Amino acid sequence: MRQRIGLLGLGFMAPAMIMVVVFFLIPVIMTAFFAFTNMGTATGVSGGEYLLTPKIIKQFEANQTLDEKVITALGSSSYIVNKTNLARAKEAGLKSKYLGEIDKKLHGKTFASRRQFERALKKLKSRPRNTRALIKSTAHFSNSVLNTRYETLGDFKTALSNNGAILAEPQLKIVTQASYTGWIWTTDNFTTMFSKPDTWFVAVNTLVYVVLVLAFNIFFGLFLSLTTFYLPTGQSVFFRAIWLLPRISPPVLYVLLWKWLTWDTGFISTVLGWFGMAPYNFMLGSVESAWTVVILINGFVGASLGMILFSSAIQAIPTSILYASEVDGANRWQQIRYIILPQLRWPILFTTSYTTLSLLTSFEYILLSTRGGPGGTTNVWALEAYFTALNNYSGNLQYGYGAAMALVLVTIGISVSLLYLRLFKFDDLVTRPRIES
Amino acid sequence: MRILLDKFTKKFDDTVVINDMDLEIKDGELMALLGPSGCGKSTTLFSICGIYQCSGGRILFGDRDVSNVSSQQRNVGVVFQNYALYPHMSIYENIAFPLMVKKMDAAQIKKEVHAIAKLVHIGDLLERRPSQLSGGQQQRVALCRALVRRPDVLLLDEPLANLDAKLRLEMRSEIRRIQQETGITAILVTHDQVEAMSMCDRIALMDEGKVLQVTTPNDMYHNPQTDFVASFLGNPPIAFLEGEVAGNQVLLNGSQLKVALPSSIRQPDNGTKVRLGVRPELVGTDRGNAVAGRISFIETQGRENLYDLTLDNGAVLRSIQAVRSDISMGQTANWNIDTERVLVFDTNGQRLL
Amino acid sequence: MSNENSRNFKSWPVTIILTVFSLPILVMYLYLVVDTFTNTEPGSLIPNEFTFEHWRFLWETEPGRVSIWTATLNTLIFASVMTALVLSVSLTAGYALSRLNMPYRRFFLGGVLTLHAFPTVTLVIALFIVLQMVGLYNTLIGVIFIKAALMLPFGIWVMKGFYDTVPWEIEMAGVQDGASRFMVWHKLVLPQIKPGLIALGVFSFLEGWSEYVLPQIFTPDADVQVLSVYLASLIADDQNFDFNLFKSIGLFYIMPVIVLYLLFQNKLMNIYGGGSKG
Repeated sequence: MRQRIGLLGLGFMAPAMIMVVVFFLIPVIMTAFFAFTNMGTATGVSGGEYLLTPKIIKQFEANQTLDEKVITALGSSSYIVNKTNLARAKEAGLKSKYLGEIDKKLHGKTFASRRQFERALKKLKSRPRNTRALIKSTAHFSNSVLNTRYETLGDFKTALSNNGAILAEPQLKIVTQASYTGWIWTTDNFTTMFSKPDTWFVAVNTLVYVVLVLAFNIFFGLFLSLTTFYLPTGQSVFFRAIWLLPRISPPVLYVLLWKWLTWDTGFISTVLGWFGMAPYNFMLGSVESAWTVVILINGFVGASLGMILFSSAIQAIPTSILYASEVDGANRWQQIRYIILPQLRWPILFTTSYTTLSLLTSFEYILLSTRGGPGGTTNVWALEAYFTALNNYSGNLQYGYGAAMALVLVTIGISVSLLYLRLFKFDDLVTRPRIES
Repeated sequence: MRILLDKFTKKFDDTVVINDMDLEIKDGELMALLGPSGCGKSTTLFSICGIYQCSGGRILFGDRDVSNVSSQQRNVGVVFQNYALYPHMSIYENIAFPLMVKKMDAAQIKKEVHAIAKLVHIGDLLERRPSQLSGGQQQRVALCRALVRRPDVLLLDEPLANLDAKLRLEMRSEIRRIQQETGITAILVTHDQVEAMSMCDRIALMDEGKVLQVTTPNDMYHNPQTDFVASFLGNPPIAFLEGEVAGNQVLLNGSQLKVALPSSIRQPDNGTKVRLGVRPELVGTDRGNAVAGRISFIETQGRENLYDLTLDNGAVLRSIQAVRSDISMGQTANWNIDTERVLVFDTNGQRLL
Repeated sequence: MSNENSRNFKSWPVTIILTVFSLPILVMYLYLVVDTFTNTEPGSLIPNEFTFEHWRFLWETEPGRVSIWTATLNTLIFASVMTALVLSVSLTAGYALSRLNMPYRRFFLGGVLTLHAFPTVTLVIALFIVLQMVGLYNTLIGVIFIKAALMLPFGIWVMKGFYDTVPWEIEMAGVQDGASRFMVWHKLVLPQIKPGLIALGVFSFLEGWSEYVLPQIFTPDADVQVLSVYLASLIADDQNFDFNLFKSIGLFYIMPVIVLYLLFQNKLMNIYGGGSKG
């Protein structure tokens, strides 16, 4: 019997497990794996090819990684009449009479440029009368590796040697690595991340953001729940409803309203304008005002969570205790300090830990309001990862680097939530099923 | 149907709750599992109905070993303490549910439900919802639902605990009547000795996962095997006097008072420490040996009064007597103890016979 | 003395303080409504003209943009299909975690709690690439599945909470009456948690309706845009900036939210408060 119920339980879990595996487990594994690559829009996600571009050659020249002779050889395009090239031309459908003449008259010859080769071809009787066709036919004898895509490393090496560039093994390696267009395994993401000053700037930003918004949420949540508790019912219902609006509003609309409030064409500037002040964009005008707005936007949403949790905890306090404290002579403040706040210890601790974790990974409201601006001053870790990997102006999406940034968040997130599981006595949640069979 | 627990053991993880329990419930009998809370009586009940699995031993229904049979297939009717009526179903649907899951045809179900509802006197409530019923009515519905599929055994888990005092009296006799009319074997779990004594054919008294004594209510009251059993039954409860045997008398500790031993028991050696169990109805009788004490408390019960008699060593005897106008608080009294009916226990709590 | 004071406690100072703090919200939402029907001179806050022109988006579609009704339909499909998915999956998984004996129950429970706090960014990068590879990028199906999966740990947790409140005796009685565990779940337990189901359903729907980041990443194209992306792209377009138009669209967008909220207020409070508990 035990066996069968086990199966029923697993059957009931199966759909959830499938979704969790597909949408959580696999993506996380993939993220971990991307974090150790240099994947991005430039490399693509499937394999790559070998492509030597003039840009790479210029880099070689600039860095002096290779000696000049080699660089010249790499960059040169020559035309050789040999068996391979003839066969290639034949395959491409050139007339055999024409090819025969080329073979007979020009075999073994090398031309440094297309023009020279063309001149030689024009002397042939069986050449195509059309100039364009003639030029086209030269392509089959070209041995330049520049701007040609080679699918395998072997092809690329053959082409290099055909081109007459004789490369020693270390040099060859430099050239092939530089020409590879696909992604490669690397730990560069992490070394870059930890050495870049920007990273630390964003990390500090994130810390400031989490701490300030958290403080706002908890204190304001407490303030709201306490004040509405003491107000007459009608008023407390009204204020609680007001403070729930930010939470239930779609973020896009909610942030739009903040824009209207804080922009230079907005409400505050208009009101200040009556007193002769110049319009000012508080959301992006200065670093301080941008931070204030970001914290208020998030804080106003978060305060309602504290308000709801604390209010229900306060209402759970038996009224007789409150009456008793009043009979004992406690005033409002003493009642809050000695009766109510001690009862809120767990809700406060819970809200703190829950909010910390969600703030750490959230970026929606910042993305919608300041987009991390002005000048990246309100950028936080999660937003930076999002920009790096999925959305930036240059269009060069760096999946690998973004994944590495996200992986840091995952590590922090998992360890913190494991800590919370211990803190909140996870074992109490796992009561045994009471029907055993 | 006869129910037999044979060396039945129940563990939760490594905690042994019931160890090697043997118990037989005879066919057609109403057996009480009586004991303080936490003694394992509910665990035993849940194991009999199959919600818990046996950790060891066997449970037999008749000759059928059901230890590894699922509760769905055991054919047991259970009335839960809070009745566990399905709140979203009408009374009729509640009672019909066990038949419906058996895929009985609708006409047959209707017949059965109405028959059982008539037996339990709730024929006019069938259209209602559980929330519209009083506690006593819900209790009857739960009983109907348990009985409708003619179970081999009916299990009642503290069925009267959630009722007020008046309904409790009424349902006590109702459950007994229905059990006798249907002739079903039944087990009643309770911590209330009055319930157990008044309703059941036999009582199995349990403590700490063990069955201490199984016998008829009357026998258990008059012939308890241990002081625990003696103290559990009877209201007001039995009083105990500690002392040492001196000849055919017991010299009470810290006192000059002596109480005669019953002549029926085998004489213990002099100096043996014993506990005398004195029920309230044995104090203030017209025979036995007199003890002196002070009236320290009087509780009016209407027809009778309960008097506490504090002896000079501080021990308290209780006496239940017809209302007497000649006694008041603080007064000294010299009352007889009917020593022939006093229960004698050794220091381990075992009855000396 | 102080007892006397507290009985004569005056609430108006608190009311005033609260009103001051609530002023930004009051102003924002008041003008959200007012500005959609009126025009106001620059530099003034008092409307001087009543008009319906800000609502023209309902019957006019600007060239290069998708019609508001397409976006609304997309949002509706996105939110409701996602909700159905979340409900059906958490309905069974929540029960298994709450009530059934099964191997690794502890592990699953811990897993659900941990996933609950999982950074979206992590999954999104990988999912972005997967979706492009399997061809579900810029389709509603893809983003529906992703949003549903992200909602799932929360949904399962909430459902487990609701199952936990169903008395065990009901299930025991059902088992005793001869029903299988599946039947007990289906016939006896499910009806008890209907309120929970409705609450989670409304909550998921609102979440889906309001969601911005995921559709922005996975369905940015015009013909699969949801309202949030539609509105955000309109705001981001610097060419014709018009707060009154944005607010009108915003009001249109938030109206179903308000209605649902008012209808299911008590049930939702349960989730906002209780659902995140533990």
